[in-house]
Amino acid sequence: MVKRIIRDIPLNRVEGDLEIRVELENNRIVDAWSSGTMFRGFENILKGRGALDGLVITPRVCGICSTTHLTAAARALDAIAGVRLPANAVRLRNVALMAENVQSDVRQALLMFMPDFAATVYADHPLHAEAAARYAALRGARCIDAIRRTKAMLEVVAILGGQWPHSSFMVPGGVTYVPSQAELNQCRQIVRRYREWYEQTVLGCSLERWQAVASAADLDRWLAENDTQRDGDVGFLLRFAAGAGLFSLGGGHGNFVSCGSLDIPAGSAVPGIGGQLVAAGFLGRGGKPQPFDQARIAEHVAASWYADYEGGRHPSEGETEPLATGADGRKYSWAKAPRYADLPAETGPLAERLLARDPLMLDLLRRDGPNLALRQLARMTRPATLLPAMEAWLGEMIAGLDEPFYGPPAELRAGRGFGLVQAARGILGHWVELEDGKIARYQIITPTAWNGSPRDGAGVRGPWEEALIGTPIADIDNPVEAGHVVRSFDPCLVCTVHVVGAGRTPLRC
Amino acid sequence: MDDLAVICIGNRYAAQDRLGCAVYEQLSGGALAMEAAAAGIAVIDGGLCGLNLLREIEGRRRVVFVDAVAGFAPAGEIVVLDRQQAAACAGAFGHAAGLPYLLDVLPQVCDGPLPEIALVGAAGDLDEAALQSLARRSLEMARDGTR
Repeated sequence: MVKRIIRDIPLNRVEGDLEIRVELENNRIVDAWSSGTMFRGFENILKGRGALDGLVITPRVCGICSTTHLTAAARALDAIAGVRLPANAVRLRNVALMAENVQSDVRQALLMFMPDFAATVYADHPLHAEAAARYAALRGARCIDAIRRTKAMLEVVAILGGQWPHSSFMVPGGVTYVPSQAELNQCRQIVRRYREWYEQTVLGCSLERWQAVASAADLDRWLAENDTQRDGDVGFLLRFAAGAGLFSLGGGHGNFVSCGSLDIPAGSAVPGIGGQLVAAGFLGRGGKPQPFDQARIAEHVAASWYADYEGGRHPSEGETEPLATGADGRKYSWAKAPRYADLPAETGPLAERLLARDPLMLDLLRRDGPNLALRQLARMTRPATLLPAMEAWLGEMIAGLDEPFYGPPAELRAGRGFGLVQAARGILGHWVELEDGKIARYQIITPTAWNGSPRDGAGVRGPWEEALIGTPIADIDNPVEAGHVVRSFDPCLVCTVHVVGAGRTPLRC
Repeated sequence: MDDLAVICIGNRYAAQDRLGCAVYEQLSGGALAMEAAAAGIAVIDGGLCGLNLLREIEGRRRVVFVDAVAGFAPAGEIVVLDRQQAAACAGAFGHAAGLPYLLDVLPQVCDGPLPEIALVGAAGDLDEAALQSLARRSLEMARDGTR
């Protein structure tokens, strides 16, 4: 038996502020530790500030999903104020949030995940040369096309919210701006062009054709149906992943959680599940879906560099008191360890689709179990579930521009509230407590805290720590296989652990 | 859209990365702001954006970025890099990918003619006089050319 511990394996495209340490036996991962290496501290920055300050400060937590943070912050204050949002405010918030997500999903796939297919470790893969031509970092034809075609999507947020990133246009009671019909038409055009490109090149078929794929057998037929589908990015992912054995790697605990997202506004023609477009719930390995209840969330700090407390603590009672003492190596991350019903749970697009009872995802899960290729497939095809609703809600706003976008809330003096939303990478939660019109407590749990968490009080690994177990590593100097596993969760440590990803090398690269 | 721009990059909450923000403050008020306006130079707070600054570049004739740099010159000394020099720092894309990634892929993704581009910056903290000097330099480069 050859045993080797590797510290900080070079996952260069995962995140600058993430370190993964693994233990190998005979070139297979037998243990893993995920460490966020920078302190975030936004919770402490917010204490004592005005009730509305979270709307300006928390979008700065992350430069990629700032609209998501704004949404969570606004929803928490909505809850404290006890307001019921006008339908148009819900629509506008939803569309802005979805713009950020549909762009992120494609960029994650084509710019971050699939470039690894060009790695030399796959030199013998029959699709390697094609993968290099399509996805090589900085040069691949599909990477360049993705940059060109995704750049316009965030203009939707800028049009509706005044700027992107770090917009602050959502406020308790609604939104600050009523867009004109021309602006909404402009947004609809951007979404339509994006949809056309996504259909033609990412899916290789219409959204309707993709949505008709309802089983593993259907998927095989779809892939063989024509060259356009076979050669699209989704088709390429399926073909490459099958050849590389990626449907059997990166499974993890097999627990999935989604808080649900995108409320269906009153009077909307868009169908939802439980009043939301994105389904909520918890699905344990081998179990049945359960309703989501935020009261079952707890954060552990046993392995995190924070002052200790027993077991887990609900975020409404949470503290963020840094304590980087080392603790004999027991503590190893600035990320806390969120748990649902005391269990580590994966969040993100796969959880969303499974909890929506998506027949294709459920059938693939039955066939192969949880794995990184399934996780990636769910992310790449999520825009197919969002783009039609974006168009519909923009159309409904155009038709109902006379309806309000804002309803004045009561004064925000005291109370507790939370805002939960499915960010591109999974559950994002803000828990807020106000006293005398000021923030007394603010706790944030990000998607990557869920997925990239360290061990909890019971010593149980976080989701991607567990997903790494069993992964074979052909070349420890280029552990592409481990990179696949972690990248399939779309990690964003920028958001999870610190203020910003500042320059480790010249020019913040 | 102005065809000249100074885009300041940085994070005011991170000491080693706030140079661009400090220069933006110099350029967004007082005499320097008036000079910028008179010369038709857009002064933009680029924050932490990398690839998403693409739309701020397209359609312009000349763009000067202001950013903290390290490893090019002693602390406090002004550094001027051309696009290729800055792009040489690019790694693969990630959530923290920044300006070098954008400048590397720019010729492949820019709609319309590629603007003339330079980066001006410094390492370490600058005092008020040095910040003003750097701000003025960025305006001069945007107005008169980057070479």
